[in-house]
Amino acid sequence: MSSVPASAFLALALILFCIGLYGALTKKNTVIVLISIELMLNAANINLVTFSKYGLNPNIDGQVFALFAMAVAAAEAAVGLAILMALYRNKRTVNIDEMDSMKN
Amino acid sequence: MTLTGEFFAFMALALVAIIGGVLLLNLNKVVHMVVALIFTFVSIAGIYVLLSAEFIAAVQVLIYSGAITIIMLFAIMLTKPYDDESSESKGGRLRNVLLFLGVVGFAFAVYIGIYNFPIDQTPSDLHVNNTLEIGKALYSRFIIPFELVSVLLLAALVGAIILAKREDKEADKE
Amino acid sequence: MENAWLIPLFPLLSFLILLLIGKRLKEASAYVGILFTLASLVFSILVLFERFSEPTFLKKFDWLTIGDLHLTAGFEVNQLNALMLFIVSLVSFLVHTYSKGYMHGDERMPVFYAYLGLFTFAMLGLVISPNLLQTYIFWELVGVGSFLLIGFYFYKEEAKAAAKKAFIMTRIGDVGLLIGMILLFWQTKSFEYSEIFQAVEAGAVSNTMLTLTAILIFIGAVGKSGQFPLHTWLPDAMEGPTPVSALIHAATMVAAGVYLVAALFPLFTASPTALLTVATVGAVTAIFAASIGLVQTDIKRVLAYSTVSQLGYMMLALGSAGYVAGVFHLMTHAFFKALLFLAAGSVIHAVHTQNIEEMGGLWKKLKLTGPLFLIGTLAISGVPGLSGFFSKDEILVAAWEGGHPVLFLFALIAAFMTAFYMFRLFFMVFTGESRGQQKNVHESPSVMTMPMVVLGVLAVIAGYVNTPWFGSFLGDWLVDGNEALGHGHIEGPIWIMIAATVVSLAGIYLAWLIYGKRSIARDWLSGQGGMLYTVLYNKYYIDEFYQLTVIAFTKGFSYFLRFIDTFIVEGIVKGVSGIVQGLGAMGSKMQTGRAQTYGTVAFVSLAVLAVIFALTGGYLR
Repeated sequence: MSSVPASAFLALALILFCIGLYGALTKKNTVIVLISIELMLNAANINLVTFSKYGLNPNIDGQVFALFAMAVAAAEAAVGLAILMALYRNKRTVNIDEMDSMKN
Repeated sequence: MTLTGEFFAFMALALVAIIGGVLLLNLNKVVHMVVALIFTFVSIAGIYVLLSAEFIAAVQVLIYSGAITIIMLFAIMLTKPYDDESSESKGGRLRNVLLFLGVVGFAFAVYIGIYNFPIDQTPSDLHVNNTLEIGKALYSRFIIPFELVSVLLLAALVGAIILAKREDKEADKE
Repeated sequence: MENAWLIPLFPLLSFLILLLIGKRLKEASAYVGILFTLASLVFSILVLFERFSEPTFLKKFDWLTIGDLHLTAGFEVNQLNALMLFIVSLVSFLVHTYSKGYMHGDERMPVFYAYLGLFTFAMLGLVISPNLLQTYIFWELVGVGSFLLIGFYFYKEEAKAAAKKAFIMTRIGDVGLLIGMILLFWQTKSFEYSEIFQAVEAGAVSNTMLTLTAILIFIGAVGKSGQFPLHTWLPDAMEGPTPVSALIHAATMVAAGVYLVAALFPLFTASPTALLTVATVGAVTAIFAASIGLVQTDIKRVLAYSTVSQLGYMMLALGSAGYVAGVFHLMTHAFFKALLFLAAGSVIHAVHTQNIEEMGGLWKKLKLTGPLFLIGTLAISGVPGLSGFFSKDEILVAAWEGGHPVLFLFALIAAFMTAFYMFRLFFMVFTGESRGQQKNVHESPSVMTMPMVVLGVLAVIAGYVNTPWFGSFLGDWLVDGNEALGHGHIEGPIWIMIAATVVSLAGIYLAWLIYGKRSIARDWLSGQGGMLYTVLYNKYYIDEFYQLTVIAFTKGFSYFLRFIDTFIVEGIVKGVSGIVQGLGAMGSKMQTGRAQTYGTVAFVSLAVLAVIFALTGGYLR
């Protein structure tokens, strides 16, 4: 029996997700944007683990999913940073606003 | 809700996590931001412990607080840090206000969903032999995804190396 | 007779063939046109002879069905239709043949024959239509054919203007016809001639409405037949090739107005007011156009005004309840006026001018055209023994018996004028000394003279089908089985015939005195009434009057509309396009290429949806 309700965990995950989202969409430094995305993934993981314990059908599967998500997040971070390095070599900047070659 | 040790632990961890996130948004130096985020990641590991997921907590500390943060720091150091967060255009400010309102609205909407979500807190025994259970699951029911993840990680490894590698032409040029 | 529907299709076929391969056929395209119209002519003659012994043939099928309403299409062969078929296809065939010579060497000959085919198709279709709607369709098609043929020399400014004028002026009349038609349909629930007549006879239409519709339809006829005050297009239409003038603006299309009134004759007889209107307009036109014809110097214009005048005669006859007289004159006029036009074309072909002041002394040079022209002139002047005499006599009798002494007087004066100006024309062109500089004037080729000979023979003998002396065969046949059309022959006092003869002979004598013997100076008329002469020469300033009133008003109104268009309509349009453009510019500005902006927009939109969903609970609640 737990004294902390499941909704408290979910609310914490929500707050962290919102922080990550806001950071991902406002920060100018591409590295920070990537970190913010990691934060959002973490918030999602909290949800997975919370439901694994307090869901309608408590199960270990939620934790396994969280593990897979972490593996994918790690891979994503590695590739994202590699792309960042390649971009930086070409453009000499990590300011995300200057990476607007999508326009033309 | 009773004032148990679990409750205090949750409050403390949640507070640290949120403060870490807020600092991420408000600090000026990039390195500081990353360091602030380490607190958040570690707190989240604590939260996992509260949720009877010791193995996940360990992995969280290893991967996020360790590996990813270190890569980020390397990336920051390898690039010329772009610290000037204040030089925003007028449209950028408007955009941020709009986004802030959007985020608050989104949080509100989801919170209503959370508030109304019917969760009956049935006791579970996930904390018993947690790592053993995860291992069993991974190597029985989730064996194929597990192997696929290993392939994904390998592909990411190769891709990252190729992307980040200096091309020969460029090397000649410099 | 059941195959009468084929008659209009032959010229249509000719039109289509020439349209498709005319360019390759070149001059040979004439044979295509001639052959197909010959086929039409043969069928028409067969139908006409069949009609003498058989009753009216009517065939129709449902064309459109709207609720309980059935619009039909089909064809009808009654006496009038059969006669018109014969006249139209005959004149068309002769004109086709004649054009072979007249248009010789013209590069656009296939086009010319294609237009002729189209026109002939429309005209033949018009005269066998059994209902008003079909009539109206062909009526407009005829107008198109006329427009194309008048504007055939489209590189000439005058021809272009004349074509436009003809189209617009007749259109004014057509609006009247359309409104009348719709009113009639509203009242009788049918476009069928027979059903309309039944409804009129049964008194289903109020008197006022009857008069209104009759007069509106008559306005259509006024436009097409060049009656006063919509006559000004007809003389201008002489800018077209001369065979066209003979076919369209003498024998067939302008007669369509008369035909329409004749076809709807029971409708007109039901309204005395409408009849009086028709008669008055006809009489006024007759004398009015004849007076203009007195002083014109262009050979084709003289003939054009004479056409207008003769059409006025026909209207007068119809308006005086002289159905037979009107149709009879329509037939004889078609023959002798076509003859006159073709002869005039032959003259123009020989001397290359249309101004009669530059002609003269052609009698000896044009051995065949001269006598034929004389026959036409005698016929139109009403000299006893020729066709024009009999039909004109019928009209005068009808006018007298119709109880319009004033209109009778008008007709008599117009007859005098007709004789005078026609012989003025004849003497100026064919007698005296040559006033032009034309050398080697020669007779036209036989392909041109043969049609003239045929028409000349008809111009002499056509009158004998309906005479007070040998029986009124045509008249009896025309009104057979239809009492609403009046009597086959109207008995009139003998003095009318004598008066008509005397009047026309007097006109000829006066013309001879002035232009033949020259015992009276030529400028006697213009000297005596200088102002009158000027007024006549300028055609009563009708064109100028229109220019100053109707056209000026229309122009002003158009400017006003253009003002609205430029500043209000276009303003709105520009405003709308400006708004759209502005939105587009804003949208394109948003395409900054910055991923964060895109993400923000997408996310904020999602958040708005989420909030709305959370607050309302979606559709499910």
